[in-house]
Amino acid sequence: MLSREEVLKIAKLARLTLTEDEIGFYQKQLTRVLDHIQDLNQVLTNKEAFVQHVPVDAEPFREDVAVPFANHDGLMKNAPAVENNCFLLPAIMEQN
Amino acid sequence: MSLEKYEAVIGLEVHAQLMTASKMFCRCPNQYGSSPNTNVCPVCTGQPGALPVINKKAMELGVRAAIALNCEIHPESVFARKNYFYPDLPKGYQISQYEKPFCTQGYVVVQLKTGEEKRIGITRIHFEEDAGKSNHEAYGTLVNLNRAGVPLCEIVSEPDMRTAHEAGQYLRALHSILRYADICDGNMEEGNFRCDANISVRPIGTEKFGTKVELKNINSFKFVEKAIEYEVQRQVFAIENGEKIIQQTRSWNSAKNVTEVMREKEQAHDYRYFPEPDLPKLVFSSSWLDKIKKEMPELPQQTSARFKAAFDLSDYDASVLTSSKELAKYFESVVSHSKNGKASANWVMNELLGRLNAVGKEIDLSPVSSTQLAELIAKIDSGEISGKIAKTVFEEMFATSKDASSIIKDKGLVQISDPAALENVIRKVIESNPSQLAEYKAGKVKLLGFFVGQAMKETKGQANPALLNELVKKFLDS
Ligand SMILES: [Zn+2]
Repeated sequence: MLSREEVLKIAKLARLTLTEDEIGFYQKQLTRVLDHIQDLNQVLTNKEAFVQHVPVDAEPFREDVAVPFANHDGLMKNAPAVENNCFLLPAIMEQN
Repeated sequence: MSLEKYEAVIGLEVHAQLMTASKMFCRCPNQYGSSPNTNVCPVCTGQPGALPVINKKAMELGVRAAIALNCEIHPESVFARKNYFYPDLPKGYQISQYEKPFCTQGYVVVQLKTGEEKRIGITRIHFEEDAGKSNHEAYGTLVNLNRAGVPLCEIVSEPDMRTAHEAGQYLRALHSILRYADICDGNMEEGNFRCDANISVRPIGTEKFGTKVELKNINSFKFVEKAIEYEVQRQVFAIENGEKIIQQTRSWNSAKNVTEVMREKEQAHDYRYFPEPDLPKLVFSSSWLDKIKKEMPELPQQTSARFKAAFDLSDYDASVLTSSKELAKYFESVVSHSKNGKASANWVMNELLGRLNAVGKEIDLSPVSSTQLAELIAKIDSGEISGKIAKTVFEEMFATSKDASSIIKDKGLVQISDPAALENVIRKVIESNPSQLAEYKAGKVKLLGFFVGQAMKETKGQANPALLNELVKKFLDS
C-alpha cells in the first residue's frame, strides 16, 4: 500500500491540497492503479513498442510554413475566462 | 578570506530558440511580439485529440547546431513527455527528449583572456518545445500561449568551466556559433537565448564535486560573469563559515547584485518522463544529414581562418573581427571596396569599434556604413588626404553620417599635393625664420624637422607629408 507521504508527494506535484479523508481514499485508489500496472507489466513489451504503433509510411515531418489557425475565435471560446486576450486563471499561490 | 584555496565547477544549460517560421509541432507562426494568444491553435493550447506534427526545419537547425558544436549525431532519437503542472503549460507536459537525445558528446573551443584556448565539452543537445508566458496579477494569472510550442534546442555543457570568465567565454562562443549558422537569432532581451548555470565549489586538488546550486535565467552577458562570481564567493564564504551548501535553485537579482533563493523545483524523477506516444521515433536518414552538412553556413572559426590568410591578420585581430556575424560581414564589405585588408582591419577595430563602444551601439547601427568607411580608406591610399586628416574626417562622418568626400569638400581638407602651392608656403616659412636657416646652413641639419613642422602648420596639416619633406629639404639645401 502506498504510504501517506507518497500520496502527499503526488498531490503536491499535481498542485492539489487533500483533506485527511482524501489522503486515505487516494492511498487505496492509487495503490489499486499501481497494482493494475504491475499486472500489465507481465505482458512482454519493451519501451520501443511505445513508438512503433505509428504507421511506417506516415510522413514524419511537416514543412516549416506558418498558417494561422482558422477558427481562432472558436478556440478562445473554450477558455473559462479571458482578460486582455489572455487566459485568466485563479491567482497562483506560493507552494507550501 | 581564502577564495584562492577553492575552485569553481561550472556547467551551463542554454535554451536556444530555433529560427523557424512556424512552431515545433503545429503551424502557428513563431513570432515574437504578436498580441497575446494570436499565434495559437488546438495543438499548442493542448485541446483534446489534437496531434503534433514535427517541423522539418526545426530538426534541420538542430542538426546544424550539432554539426557546429562537433557533436555525435544519433540517426534515431525519441521524443519524451516531461510532466509537470503549471498554467503556462496547457498539455500538462512538455514534449522534450530525455533518454535518447538526437545528439551527444560535442565541444566548443573558447579563447581565454590569457591567450590560451580551452575545450569545453557539450554533454548533449536535445529538442524541446517552449512553454507559454504567465503574468501574475492580484486578481489572477494571465496566460499568453504565443510562445507555447516554439522550437528550442537545450544545449547542456559538461562541468568543464572553472571560472566565471571561462563560463562567459563559453557562452559568447556558443552565441556566436548559433548566430553564424542561422540557428538562433541570439536575442537575449526577447528570451531567445537563455542560460542557467550549475555551480559548485571544491578545495583545489580535490576530485569530488561539491553540492551544486542551480542559477536560473541569467539573461545577459553582462550578468553571467557577475552572477557566477557572486555565487562562487557566496559558497566559499559559507563553507569557510562552517555552513553546508544546500542544493537549491537561485536567481540573479541584478538590482541588488546578489543571488536569491527561488522556489523549490521538481527533481528529474518527479517529471515522470516517458516516450511521447503521439510522435514517431525521430529518424534522420544519412542522405538528409549529408545534405545539411554540405549546406552548412561558415562558422566563426572558419571565417577567422579565412581572414587571417587573406588579409594577413593576427589571431587577435581575426578573432575580434569575427566576434559577431554582423561585424565580420561589415569588415568584408569594407575590404571589398577599399581593397586594403590591413588598413580596413585597423580602421574598423581602432576607430570604429572604439567609437561604437563609447556610445553603446552595435555594428548594425553604425552611423558610418561599410562603403563610406571604404571610401575614406581609399582616399588615404590615393593620397587625397593624409592619415591624420582622415581621423578628423572620420570623426565628422561618425557624428553626421555624411560621406568623406562631402566633408573633405565642405571643410577644404583636401591634401595639398601641388608642388607650386607648397613652395609658396615653404618660401614664406624660410624667410620668416632667418636665424634657424643660418643654423641649418652651419650644419645643424636636424632643424629640417622644424621647417617641415612649421610648413605643415601653415597648411593646417593638409600638406602631403612626403612631398613637403622633400621640397623643404630641396629649398634649404639650394
Ligand atoms: Zn499552434
